[in-house]
Amino acid sequence: MTAVSVGGGLVRRRRLTLPSKARVRGWLPWYSFVLPPFALFLLFVIYPTLQAFRLSFFRQVGATQQFAGLYQYQRLSHDQVFINALLNTALLGVAFLCIVLPLATILASLLNSLRRFSTPFKVIYFLPQVTSAVAVAVVFNYVFQPDFGLLNSLLRSTGVQDLPLWLADPRYDLTGSRAGATILAVFVGLGYFMLITLAGLQTIPTELYDAAAIDGAGHFQAWRYVTLPSLRPTFVFLLITGIVDAMARFSDLWTLGGPSGTPARSLQSIVMYMYQVAFDGGDMNYASAIAVVFFAIVLAITIFSFRTLVLNEVRRRRTAALAEPVLAVSVANEVTVE
Amino acid sequence: MIGVGTRKRISDARASRTSMERVRQAGILIILSLGAIVMLLPFEWMIATSLSRAANLGLPRIPRFWPPDPSLFNYQLAADNLPLIQYYLNTVIVVGTTTIAFLFFSSLTGYAFAKGRFPGRNALFIAFLATLLVPFEMRMIPLYGLMRDLHLNNTMGALIVPFLVGGFGTFLMRQYILSIPDDLIDAARLDGAGEFAIYRLVILPLCVPVLAALAVINVIWRWNDLVWPLMAVSDRGLYTITLGLALAARGSQQIYVGIALATAALAVLPVVVIYILLQRHIIRGITLTGMKG
Repeated sequence: MTAVSVGGGLVRRRRLTLPSKARVRGWLPWYSFVLPPFALFLLFVIYPTLQAFRLSFFRQVGATQQFAGLYQYQRLSHDQVFINALLNTALLGVAFLCIVLPLATILASLLNSLRRFSTPFKVIYFLPQVTSAVAVAVVFNYVFQPDFGLLNSLLRSTGVQDLPLWLADPRYDLTGSRAGATILAVFVGLGYFMLITLAGLQTIPTELYDAAAIDGAGHFQAWRYVTLPSLRPTFVFLLITGIVDAMARFSDLWTLGGPSGTPARSLQSIVMYMYQVAFDGGDMNYASAIAVVFFAIVLAITIFSFRTLVLNEVRRRRTAALAEPVLAVSVANEVTVE
Repeated sequence: MIGVGTRKRISDARASRTSMERVRQAGILIILSLGAIVMLLPFEWMIATSLSRAANLGLPRIPRFWPPDPSLFNYQLAADNLPLIQYYLNTVIVVGTTTIAFLFFSSLTGYAFAKGRFPGRNALFIAFLATLLVPFEMRMIPLYGLMRDLHLNNTMGALIVPFLVGGFGTFLMRQYILSIPDDLIDAARLDGAGEFAIYRLVILPLCVPVLAALAVINVIWRWNDLVWPLMAVSDRGLYTITLGLALAARGSQQIYVGIALATAALAVLPVVVIYILLQRHIIRGITLTGMKG
């Protein structure tokens, strides 16, 4: 009796712990779908990410790598070039977002209330993004040329006497190199910001406007009190992705000013400095420390803006879709797929 | 009964409202057109300057939007200076292979994560998702070392293999496939279809709009990329068009405005033609995914 019941218990336990062959066979196709791409992912995404952390704690001594603790980070803390690159990146990002967001909102609102011909405008405003930031930067190198460039020639023919030097002037100035780089960024990015804002505008229910009209609101009042508040989720999304993109800025600045962001490093971003340290200086460890700091900043900004902006939004709207794990992206989904 | 006077007053009000609306529409059209002119002016100036041989000796102090001596001289020199056809070929290979692989792996993993039942599914999905928070620039330096170790440095492979799979594609496809009803899949399963057959015959056809959007953003990503090609290849025969253009612009060529802008025009024009032909799909892809380059 006892022996039988023990045996029965064992069998039962085995049933509980080991799934039947048929079930395991049912899993196999799913694993064959997921594991090969996951192997690629492990090798080309996860491994290099971890390796960046590891490298940043080492230093090259002769031909060997030696553990160096926080040595690379100590170097970073008093590296003026790094601090300059950090400031440039932040300043260029803030200037870009402060101009492009209001401008795109106004233009997208106008485009949204246009009855006909809206497609050609979408196509034209988005054009610079497609031709690539590099190609536009090549053209803008000449547009900003102080003697014969398009911009200064236009200013001259309208009677301006003191023509700015634009990209040749490294000062913190409204007509200096950083201003030029910001104009370029707005030129390239405007279309994308407009398209996303336009998608946001099209999700605003028309009943809201009918209600505003009944209350006697004019076009401008409806825009101010209906459109702008309804666009909040779109602004949150654009702000978060815009900040992350601005932190990673590279190709247009590299095309304008080369690896050190000429003139006088006024156009050098963090990623450009990282690149320069790694490939002109050959110091992969120091470059990895820059990469880790860069990542920490991007992550901090993402989490901070997510907590303050998106969670507010969730509380305001109680939308279940916003509670998905990866946050910025599901906001993207929420904002744009509707 | 509405009197004649009232009726006239109503129609007057309607007429003035429509004429005001017409004025408003015209105003909007004018503002947007001015903006569009600003967007197109640099490109127009690029073409005008690139067509002028005299531009290489210096430009007039008043902007010129039509070349005084239109010729293809600068284009001839630009094409002789740079192997642009080679660059285009390289770009097409890189963009083509990464896009096909990216769409295939994104939809396959997206399907498994949306509809599959297997242990470890959530952990694997979260691993894919977590990397969305890690920008490419964070891992590019170790990635360069990895390419060296795999002996892929300075080969076409280095431009392709890091971009075969991506967290964003998997995420987007999973979200979309979740909305496909299970009944469709169960019906196919009852007919004896295996999971791969279901993926190919049921899931993929339903995913065409998302796949198109994903293709658009992947093409724009790879087309625009400068930093990785700059690191990964040093052999001129492997340059993409964006890398070739950026390096030419930094090189000695920049002294000759006409030739430099002709090079830029050659790098831009084919894309503009493709863009205009496919504009509907491209614009939809951007708004659907919320992504650009």
